[in-house]
Amino acid sequence: MPEFFKFDQIEYHMGAAGRTVKVSSDLEEGSILVIKGPSGAGKTTLLRILARLLECDKGQVFLQGQNWLSFTPQLWRSKINYLAQKPAVFNGTVLDNLKKPFALKIKKDMFNLDEAIDGLRELSLNENLIHQDARTLSGGETARITLLRPILFKPNILLLDEPFASLDDNSARSVMEFLKRWLENETGRGIVMVTHNDIYKDISGIKIQELELSEPGVN
Amino acid sequence: MDAGVIPISNTQLALSVILVLITGVISAALRLELLKPLLWGTVRTYLQLTLIGYALTYIFNINNLILIIVIISLMCLVASRTAVRGSPRAGRYSMLLGFFSLWTSTFLVGTIVMVLIISPEPWYSARIAIPIFGMILGNSMNGIALSLERLFSEVKSKISEIEALLSFGASPWESVRDCVKEALRAGMTPTINSLMVVGLVSLPGMMTGQILAGADPQQASRPLPVVVMLMIAAAVAIGCLMLVLLYYKKLFTKEDAIAHYV
Ligand SMILES: Nc1ncnc2c1ncn2[C@@H]1O[C@H](COP(=O)(O)OP(=O)(O)OP(=O)(O)O)[C@@H](O)[C@H]1O
Ligand SMILES: [Mg+2]
Repeated sequence: MPEFFKFDQIEYHMGAAGRTVKVSSDLEEGSILVIKGPSGAGKTTLLRILARLLECDKGQVFLQGQNWLSFTPQLWRSKINYLAQKPAVFNGTVLDNLKKPFALKIKKDMFNLDEAIDGLRELSLNENLIHQDARTLSGGETARITLLRPILFKPNILLLDEPFASLDDNSARSVMEFLKRWLENETGRGIVMVTHNDIYKDISGIKIQELELSEPGVN
Repeated sequence: MDAGVIPISNTQLALSVILVLITGVISAALRLELLKPLLWGTVRTYLQLTLIGYALTYIFNINNLILIIVIISLMCLVASRTAVRGSPRAGRYSMLLGFFSLWTSTFLVGTIVMVLIISPEPWYSARIAIPIFGMILGNSMNGIALSLERLFSEVKSKISEIEALLSFGASPWESVRDCVKEALRAGMTPTINSLMVVGLVSLPGMMTGQILAGADPQQASRPLPVVVMLMIAAAVAIGCLMLVLLYYKKLFTKEDAIAHYV
């Protein structure tokens, strides 16, 4: 039985200084891997590499034993879905925003409105929000709507970059529970997240990977 | 009918320096620092037009198809250099794409006009081909330059939306389709505007030339200027479309991610 998701000896350098980071880790099905490290350690960079939005110098990633290069970048990204630290909001209503990824050729399923409305409720958002202009949402609402977008898209792995950054403790906790339920609802799911928040502490089965901020020339 | 070309003597030509002086005084008064480029531009205008006069006489007399193709290709080369100057990677590759799009659209439209619509004897008559192709090129060049500039500025300002689409598995085309549309619109708007106001605000260059040369305005307004306007529109559309469609791929890496220099 191959590991669910694993990155092996990923090596990359950042910025003009050329600091190099080496990291390996893995994730079990239905669980969460938390990437920790000081600001500028390269956490965002790592997630972007895992989503193949950036190229790394060395290393390989496997999903259910299959090498990442055996997928097209499009297929890979539809399975390993990256949510940016400052997620993009498209022109139009919240509904337009949630539907947007379903217009892509790679996505064969239809958009399901009931699921979207359930999602809003579970994230303690008012369902009337769905017809609001997405650009008028508050910071915390934006964070939850842009999180709901990949959830409805149903990737295998969610790569979340500081999903709690603009949420108060209560909302953060409800988002965390929501993510936990998402993991348990179906097989073949996992989450890699970067966060400075420690609400994951009470949850079992969380693995933590530290990214050290090493000096240039070290390693 | 034949009133002949309006004669302009060398003295009169020299007097046109007054026009340069007016602009020069404005530039000096406002410290626009345009005096040097203005003088250089004036000298170049006199020189280039004088030389091209001799060259054209020579080319018209020889009237050789190969020579005409070479001349027009050279014109395309100069135009493509100007057109791609606005792109962040104005390297050889941009030039090549610019040249290819300009050349193809110009020759496609120009040849149709020469063979099917004007059909002089011979069909490639230099006296007609060179001005016609020149007009097409000048307009396509501006259209392409505008399109390219808009493509880059759109992609830059929508970079987070583009990456969001890519991260859901969008193809490069799906992720920048809206930007490509905007770029095409930007390139074609001046041409479409000029179709709207032609005759009301400006006269087509060709008609101006014919009227200054003494032609009857009614005769001069059709059918040739109509053909010219439409052919310019077609060439601009084809040129912009080709360039933008060839170029947008360059914004991506071979892994279909946004390239770092965007
Ligand atoms: N496109 C880029 N060009 C140059 N340097 C970059 C680029 N992207 C990231 N960097 C640099 O790489 C380093 C790591 O950036 P990264 O965004 O991965 O940090 P992070 O760990 O996510 O930090 P934070 O917790 O503040 O979000 C930073 O020093 C950053 O300035
Ligand atoms: Mg970050």
